[in-house]
Amino acid sequence: MGSIQIQQLTKSFGDTQVLKGIDLDIKDGEFLILVGPSGCGKSTLMNSIAGLEEVTSGDILIDGDNITDLSPKERDIAMVFQSYALYPTMSVSRNISFGLEMRKVPKTEIEKTVGGVAQLLQIEHLLDRKPSQLSGGQRQRVAMGRALARNPRVFLFDEPLSNLDAKLRVEMRTEIKKLHKRLGTTIVYVTHDQVEAMTLADRIAVMKDGQVQQFGTPYEIYNNPANRFVADFMGSPPMNFIECVVLDDKLVIESQGEKFELQVPYGDQLKKAGLDTVILGIRPEMITEPKPYVEGALVHTIPMQIEVTEPMGPDTIAFGQWNSTEIQARLSPEAGVDAQDSGKMLVQVDTSKAVLFDAFSGARLGG
Amino acid sequence: MSSLTLSKKLYKAFFITLLLVFALAYLGPLYVMLTTSFKGIEEIRNGNILALPDALNGSAWVKAWSSACTGGDCFGLAPYFWNSMRIVIPALLISTAVGALNGYVLSQWRFKGSNFLFGALLFGCFIPFQVILLPMAKLLAWLGLANTVTGLVLVHVIYGIAFTTLFFRNYYVGIPNELVRAARLDGAGFFAIFRHVFLPLSTPIIVVSVIWQFTQIWNDFLFGVVYSGPGTQPITVALNNLVNTTMGGKEYNVDMAAAVIAALPTLVVYIVAGKYFVRGLTAGAVKG
Repeated sequence: MGSIQIQQLTKSFGDTQVLKGIDLDIKDGEFLILVGPSGCGKSTLMNSIAGLEEVTSGDILIDGDNITDLSPKERDIAMVFQSYALYPTMSVSRNISFGLEMRKVPKTEIEKTVGGVAQLLQIEHLLDRKPSQLSGGQRQRVAMGRALARNPRVFLFDEPLSNLDAKLRVEMRTEIKKLHKRLGTTIVYVTHDQVEAMTLADRIAVMKDGQVQQFGTPYEIYNNPANRFVADFMGSPPMNFIECVVLDDKLVIESQGEKFELQVPYGDQLKKAGLDTVILGIRPEMITEPKPYVEGALVHTIPMQIEVTEPMGPDTIAFGQWNSTEIQARLSPEAGVDAQDSGKMLVQVDTSKAVLFDAFSGARLGG
Repeated sequence: MSSLTLSKKLYKAFFITLLLVFALAYLGPLYVMLTTSFKGIEEIRNGNILALPDALNGSAWVKAWSSACTGGDCFGLAPYFWNSMRIVIPALLISTAVGALNGYVLSQWRFKGSNFLFGALLFGCFIPFQVILLPMAKLLAWLGLANTVTGLVLVHVIYGIAFTTLFFRNYYVGIPNELVRAARLDGAGFFAIFRHVFLPLSTPIIVVSVIWQFTQIWNDFLFGVVYSGPGTQPITVALNNLVNTTMGGKEYNVDMAAAVIAALPTLVVYIVAGKYFVRGLTAGAVKG
């Protein structure tokens, strides 16, 4: 069991407030990702859950027990660190068993647990080695083994994959997800990598400046962002943000001197709000080569001057300009080659998933 | 081209000569000390100071160790050698242990004012011995430790802590704080983390601290001469007395043997521990 409630949590270092009233309700067995740019307070929040950092005000509850003032060892939490933090003078097996040893678990039981964990993580052949004799991926496994051996109520992962090379990172990512499926223990996982966040999470908390900007499933975060920051942070290549003049319930796009009217969801609300300009947020995959089978009032065709193309393999990102703003479109590889050759093309703009933001505050409009 | 290589060669020859001169300046006196200590007194009076002894005559060494007169007593250096050991070993162990704990706290368990405290401790490294002679004598008398081995141990521990703390603090600063955090989550307390995580990593710095403290305390003369009593004088004071006590003619061979005996333990510590010191340093450097 391991549900976590975080209530009105604040943390200040001197005059700097790092956490400004965090509220999170994490269900038992949930995989929660804390994501945000560096300095957003996500690591401080995790350290507060671990008990490594004293909070200024607010409460943290695990399974309803208030643990705010408990020491780390009384919280029944295990953590995997970014640098792995393996004890350099101890063998792999002692690294894994150290926590049990400190908790006075009987020797026979420790041996059994270490054996089981080693088997689960396939590190049985490494048990007698020192951490310095291991590769990065192996150290990562040992660090996870140390956390697993304790069988805690909650696992904390602090950017565990950021020291691995790209290929290994993807492998370990999948492995962590499988492990979570198998164990079903609550995981709180900190990362600044939005791909990791999207792929791993049951729910994501996007943080900025010590505040949770949005707390939801990966689908909600990606398709229904609460504000411009969340929309910008999640997704690669990033969402296009185009400042547009409002004309009744439509938006105006200017391309190569010509003006086009764009119908958008919540257009009627635009009219009522009486705004002159808004920010149109539209993801690159909604700006494509024309697809005849996609139809409707929200599908438009607009010309685009192609400045440069970046073939990614499965698709090609094309860069153009509308309303003096750089636009990224996601084309099929074939359309990408054509666009590259001719330097211009007609693209299809599907605004069915477009979102609108206030031009000044970045707050979400409508929806 | 050839002129360039010639000047290069001259350059090299110049530096080698210079180094040889420096080496001779150190080794020459040592050579004289050793050869003189193995000569008989007649041979010294009549012979060349630089000549090798006619035969290895160890009687001066035996006398220096066991029967030479230091002031009124004629027991040689032996009792004072053990006095020094009784001062050095506890002072060394205590100051190293306290320094290690201090360094651990000041590097990994920062608290409000910990940097100030460290600075204040460092200040101790810069206080000359002479400045505190009188107040310390008062303090020792007040504590009832004047003229005792315990008093000397106390003085050396207090002086040594400034240095050992500096050594350990700077060494432990290089150990990532995440190790402490990991161990805390594993359920280890303050001392358990120190014992299981930090001490096993500390061999090189312990050796540095031991070499430093042994040399400092063994070679100390000033505290030894001021705070010791008749039965608690360290070997440096005894050596001084031995050389200044003359019964008839000056026995240079005994003086030299005594000086070498007094210097021997620090040399042994360097040779024995220095090996571990280098080994420890390289082991740390290769660690990934």
